[in-house]
Amino acid sequence: MSTTVSQALQPAFATGEFITQVFLVAAALFMLLAIAMFYRAVKGPTTQDRVLAVNVLGTNTVVVLALLGAGLGEPSLLDIALVYALLNFLMAVAISKFTVERGGVL
Amino acid sequence: MSELFAGVLFAFVLAAAVATAAFRDTLTVIVVFAAYSLGMALFYAFLLAPDVAMTEAAIGAGVTTLLLLLTLAKTVREDTDQLLESVNVPAVLVFGGLLVVMVASLGEFPAVGADDAMAWYNPEVTQHYIANAYDDTGVENAVTAVLAGYRGFDTFGEAVVVFSAGIATLIVLNKEVFTRE
Repeated sequence: MSTTVSQALQPAFATGEFITQVFLVAAALFMLLAIAMFYRAVKGPTTQDRVLAVNVLGTNTVVVLALLGAGLGEPSLLDIALVYALLNFLMAVAISKFTVERGGVL
Repeated sequence: MSELFAGVLFAFVLAAAVATAAFRDTLTVIVVFAAYSLGMALFYAFLLAPDVAMTEAAIGAGVTTLLLLLTLAKTVREDTDQLLESVNVPAVLVFGGLLVVMVASLGEFPAVGADDAMAWYNPEVTQHYIANAYDDTGVENAVTAVLAGYRGFDTFGEAVVVFSAGIATLIVLNKEVFTRE
């Protein structure tokens, strides 16, 4: 056996492997929550429910993107999270405006 | 652990896709399709394609929703109490067959990073790009270097086509795109 003690102890904590796993598991749990939110988007019953559900889904996506960026070591994913945070707002406003004043979007 | 994330994400995207196809009301479909787009952008981000994910975020969540809503505002939204779309049997058969063929071909794809992947069939060209892309173009991302550097005129042609299509659409719509009635 050529494995030294330090090598044997390494996998879990020393290399940051553990924290990576935590980030990825957290992202997976947030995706489970996304499925629960999607239930509201499917069930409705009104359009307002669906718009709110997709808005929350978008916020959830921002969080998952940030977690993925940390877990996979890709800081560029944070840029996408920012783009989503901005566009998500725009989308909710557009759909809300469409349902309130029939036909007006912008 | 990334398999766990991919599995849950896949379930979400599949549910969103089925819901998009199944709902009858157009406004509901637009909202559910936005959720599908969120899932796909996450998939691209997870597969480490940030540029594609960024495009999906901008087009899928922003532009497509606005475009579909504008179209809906210009046209008539069918008022119906029917929740789900009625199933068209011939269409289901055709797409079911297509699905079987596509799933059957999935097994033929090489694994990610495999030695016998398509990208390595022509090792000289691939290695040339990897070795010289930064020195030639000064762009760190090799894909961007190929698209905007080595194939710059090709990409420029595509941009011209998209730009003329946009101008043609504006002319057809008689410049009333962003006005109400």
